[in-house]
Formats: sequence, structure tokens, C-alpha cells
Amino acid sequence: MRQAEDLILRDYIVSAASEINAGGGSNSDNPTNLGVSDFSLVATTLDTNNAYKFMSGIEGMDRFGTGPVRSAYFMLSSTELQTDLDGLTGSGFLNQWNYPTNASALPSEYGSVYNVRILTSSEAPVARNASANSRDVYYNTVVGKQAVTHINQDGYSMNLIYRDPYYSGMLAQNATLAVKFAQSQAITQDTAIRNLLCTRASNLSGV
Amino acid sequence: MAEYSRIARGTFTTAASPIAQIVNLPFQPQAVKLINYTAYSAPSQYAVTTAHWDLYMGQANTTFEYIETASVNWIIAADYTTNGISTFSAGSLLQFGAQQQVVASTKGSPTSFQVTAHGYNTGDVVVFEGLYQSPTTGMPQMCGMPFVVTRVDANDFTVNWNSNTSNYTALSGSPTGAYVKKVLYPFLYAPQLSFISAITTGTTTTITTTAPHNLVVGQEVAFRVPSAWGTTQLNSLPDILIPGSPVYGYVTSVTNSTTFVCNINSTGYTAYTANVAVASVPGLTFPQVVPVGDVNTGGVAYSGGALYPSPVVNGVSTINGPAISGAFINNTSQGFIVQNGVGSAQASTSLLTASSKYIYEAYYYDLSA
Repeated sequence: MRQAEDLILRDYIVSAASEINAGGGSNSDNPTNLGVSDFSLVATTLDTNNAYKFMSGIEGMDRFGTGPVRSAYFMLSSTELQTDLDGLTGSGFLNQWNYPTNASALPSEYGSVYNVRILTSSEAPVARNASANSRDVYYNTVVGKQAVTHINQDGYSMNLIYRDPYYSGMLAQNATLAVKFAQSQAITQDTAIRNLLCTRASNLSGV
Repeated sequence: MAEYSRIARGTFTTAASPIAQIVNLPFQPQAVKLINYTAYSAPSQYAVTTAHWDLYMGQANTTFEYIETASVNWIIAADYTTNGISTFSAGSLLQFGAQQQVVASTKGSPTSFQVTAHGYNTGDVVVFEGLYQSPTTGMPQMCGMPFVVTRVDANDFTVNWNSNTSNYTALSGSPTGAYVKKVLYPFLYAPQLSFISAITTGTTTTITTTAPHNLVVGQEVAFRVPSAWGTTQLNSLPDILIPGSPVYGYVTSVTNSTTFVCNINSTGYTAYTANVAVASVPGLTFPQVVPVGDVNTGGVAYSGGALYPSPVVNGVSTINGPAISGAFINNTSQGFIVQNGVGSAQASTSLLTASSKYIYEAYYYDLSA
């Protein structure tokens, strides 16, 4: 039920938010694979647009292999991009296990690059074979705090409805199982959201 | 026997040059019947009178009757098309049809493409990929944007883009990797992000988009025009007069589905250009216009009919209830599409007769044995 809600909001944002094509990678496609300059560009764009960051920074600590984390926007990405993000280790990407403390890290948080903290999901939007060179195009939604809202109507967002057969038909043959939505999504500030489109360095076929 | 069955009826009127008719319903029908009332009230040769589709026939295979003779007595004949009625369930974005090889393209405004037996109809939305004639030439600047198709014939169509400039090279000889594919459900949420194919500057600004924009008069819009495309002064931010204060425009008139006028005085702004170098394609962000408000937030007096009409998306009525005009709506839907298929026996007749009023009935059955 909640997955359906996520997919609706995902598709709505893909439809309505403006796009930046990644150009910092090296695969010569349009968009390119992610480079650290893309994270810098999108964060700078949102900063210039006076977007609010979601997370305050994490101060550095005296622990091996860790580094401070900047205050950050959230980027919602595909799990299929994790290999490319790992490839940026050492040039800007910090896995969440390398945060000074991961107490504030979310379960789906993969890491951060500059002022962007990256959450990954297998449900993130992907347009298959849609780049200039026929690679898969990934929609990475980078959001400021004031960008999107979700409105419950009539005092609820959705209902899971189950009626057993006795109440669903005269002959008590069939049950009813349904989900009813009473909600809407809205982009409240268009300047505080961007879809950063990218491809992968190569179309790896993980299974 | 009426526990799960669904029955719906309604009408649509075809244009002088008929395009595919999309009918949104709260279900996917198993059978559809069409009656062309105009063919009876004002008969003409080759006008379709009735048509019938059933799931047992397979998607798009449709039987129909048409008027064979040119005068009274009007004699009905039977025919069949493989490009007729089919059902759809549009629930998720980023779904595409099959890749088709681009055989050739011709520079111009609009730009022409040759694709063998493409099967597209006017109004379909497509995306291109791999439009390279060589590693440094071709039309890759167009890849990744959605374009609405104008069908020329079975093997040719045009899209609304000016490629008649020095940085574009016509394609020939079926270049490797040059494909086009249909965007199956381009307007599940509307109005949506649109890509710009032309800008006319002046005391008002006229915008042409690559695919239907679904904007209405009174709506607030914002622009994102990267420097490669010229007219960066339209951008909502950065604002050189009041830093941090977004500049928005309001739609003052809608010329057609891909052209609208907004109230921004762009006199003296840098001219728009699509003449972008092939070398700059990697990382090239496209010029965009985004809706940011409905008619309530717009600055133009509303002069339409009902203040809260049931939304229409790309000329098609949705099944949604009343809504603020121009507000974002969810258009995920089910229903059926009537394509303008040509008769297999009589090529002079096609399923959608021009300027005709069709009455449809759609069925979903309790029992289907």
C-alpha cells in the first residue's frame, strides 16, 4: 500500500520537476555518468535558489577512516548506481560507514558527496535505453526541505479495505480487498527541487 | 450476474484530419462498439458506420462496416483493420514501445525522419537515441527529449524541431544505434515539465514545446534555459534585479497544444537557438518550461467557462472530478484507444471518418467463457 504511494509521488516528481543532465562523468553520453562536479552543480543550484537543506553536518571525529559530513540535501537514487558511487570513493564520495557517526544516517542512506546525502532504492525511476547512446537514464531527485508536500484529504491518506464474503455479496462467495487513496502531492517550491539525470559508467548487468 | 461487470458509454467527434481517440474509463473493457452517427445522418462513400472490437480478436484487430457506394442507395460493406481499437492501463511513467531503426533524417523545420513501417499516428510522442551519423556528426542534440509526431505516411514522420542549422547533419543509411521509440504514457501527470523547441521574444514571449504542454490561460510558469540555448534571461533564477526572488511568467493565451504565449517582456533578450554543437552533447541540459501554479496563482484574469472543470489532458477528458483549472492532476487511467486504421480490403476507408460523431459503448463482463 505504501509502496503504491511512493510510486505515485515518484512519478509525479519525474513529471513535474525540472531536470539537469549530468555532465561530470567520462562516458561521453548525454547524460553522462555521475561525476563529483554534478553533485557540486546541483547543490550550488539549490543553494542559489535558497532551498533549505535537510540535514545539518556531522562534525569530524578522531576515528580511523572517517571524515566530516557537510550539511546536505537528500538525493533519491537507484540502487543500480551504487557501483558508480563506490567508484567515486576517494574523489568525493563518503560511504555512510565512513561517517564519524552514522547515528543520523537513514537505513537506505548509501553515502554522501559534498552537500548531497544519497538514499538508494530499487524503486527509483529509470528510463531504460533512453540516453543519447542508448544507456539507461536514472532520475536522481535532489530536494530541499520546502520542495514537496503531501496532502491528506478528508483526514486520511489511504485506507486498506477488506470486507469478508458475508458482507461482499448475497451468496457470500467473494471477498473484497481494495486500497482507497485520499491524498494529493504538490511541489510547493519549484526552485528547491531538481532531477539530476545520469547514466552509468557502463551498463553492468547485475542480477 | 452484475457483480463485476462494467458498462460505459459516451461520444467523441473526430477532427477533419482524424487522430487517434483516447477514451479514459474506470476499467479496461473487454469489448467496444462504435456507431458513427454522422455516417447515417449525412452519408458519404467510405464512411464507417459501425465498428466492433472484442478481446477475443486480439488487441487492435477491429471489424467494421462502411458505405461502399457513392450515392443512394447506400450499400454497406464489411472490412477489417489491424490498427483499430486496443485497451490500455496507464499507471507508471517511463514506459516505452519497441526500438525502431531510424533509416534517415532530413534537416529542416520541422525535422523529417524515415523509419520503415513506424506505425506512429499524429499525436504520438516519441524519443530518439543514437542519432549519430559519425562520432562527431548527426542530430544527437535531439536525443532524450519527447517529441510529438506528425505522421506523413507509413514510413515518414516529422517532429517540431529546427535542425536546419550548421551543427546538424542529416542521417542516412540506417546508422548503427539510431533508434526511435514511442513514449507509451507521456501525460500521466499534467501539466508537466515541457521541453522548448522555439522561443519568439518581444513584448510578450511565445513558446513552442516539443510535445503538448497541457497549460491553460492564467497559469504560472518558470523557465530553465541553459546558456547553450540562448535565452537565459527567461530563467526564474538567478534574478539579476532581486537576487533569490524567482521570476515567473503567466500564460496569456494558448495557441495550440504545443504553443503558448506568456506575459514576460523579452524584448532585447538573447535569441533562442537550437544550433548546439555535437561536441557539447555530453552533459547537455535541455531548455525547459515548468508549470508552477494554477489559475488561482496566475496573474491573468480567468475568462474560461466553468471555474472548476473536470480536467482535460491533451484534449482528452479524464475521469477526475472538478479541479482548479491548471492545477496538477493525476491522469493515471485505463480505457481504450481508437486508431485510424485503414481497411485491409478497401484501402479508401479508415476506422475514424473525418468530422464525425461517434457513440461508443464499452463492456467488461461478469462471465467471459
